[in-house]
Amino acid sequence: MEIVFDASTLILLAKIELLREITEEVKAIIPRKVKAECLSKKSIDAILISTLIKEKKIEVKKAGNAKAVNKIQRDFRIEAGEAEALWLARRLNCPIAVDDGPTIKACKVIGQRFATAIHFLLNLASQDRLELSMAIAKLAKLSHYGRYSREIIKDATERLKGGD
Amino acid sequence: MGVVSLRLKDRDLERLDELSKLERKDRSTMARELLEHGWEFLMLRYYKEGKLSLEGLAKKLNMSISEAVDLLAELGIEAPIGFEDYLTGFNIFKDK
Repeated sequence: MEIVFDASTLILLAKIELLREITEEVKAIIPRKVKAECLSKKSIDAILISTLIKEKKIEVKKAGNAKAVNKIQRDFRIEAGEAEALWLARRLNCPIAVDDGPTIKACKVIGQRFATAIHFLLNLASQDRLELSMAIAKLAKLSHYGRYSREIIKDATERLKGGD
Repeated sequence: MGVVSLRLKDRDLERLDELSKLERKDRSTMARELLEHGWEFLMLRYYKEGKLSLEGLAKKLNMSISEAVDLLAELGIEAPIGFEDYLTGFNIFKDK
């Protein structure tokens, strides 16, 4: 499955050290602007993202149609990287991975399919690609960086333990 | 550095003096730092209210998105992602 990643989800998955495993499960695509943002400053997650791009586990694509990207930016008050990711996902007719509130709102308005970092973790665990104890440890880390609501973390924990 | 003169309420001046003593910094330095903190606070509030995207927040605070995520995590600011959004997100894996 092809998925376009916004910087928010890409960075979260890199921070919890799950991005490599995810890129083995799905075909990860990012627009140029997202690449530039993720690699703008040196950090551990930037090094991981850069490595995965070099290994071709993450494909960088041109978003195209600057006018459409600008319009998305204006209409939904989001920035260039978020708008490029949204436009690219529309153009490729694939879901977008995003952990940004205003971009998720935009997805709902235009009927764009989306998922957040926590969905990738739960999906990996449901396929037995992660042991339960490891999945719970990753969820704790993701809860810190992703700052999901208690309700979401409670449900995700139950899904992990219940094996749903 | 530019120069600006402004009238402050007595209460604000008292606060500025109190903080200057506490931090052992002169009034001007303290005022500049307070402006910076005020800007940061306001941008974080805009983010929390969904008025600013993550990338927008990072730009306003002159930091990378990764640094903005670290700051939000440190401050424990909840992501503006609703439970319904979370439930909707599972659909992409059902269609697989």
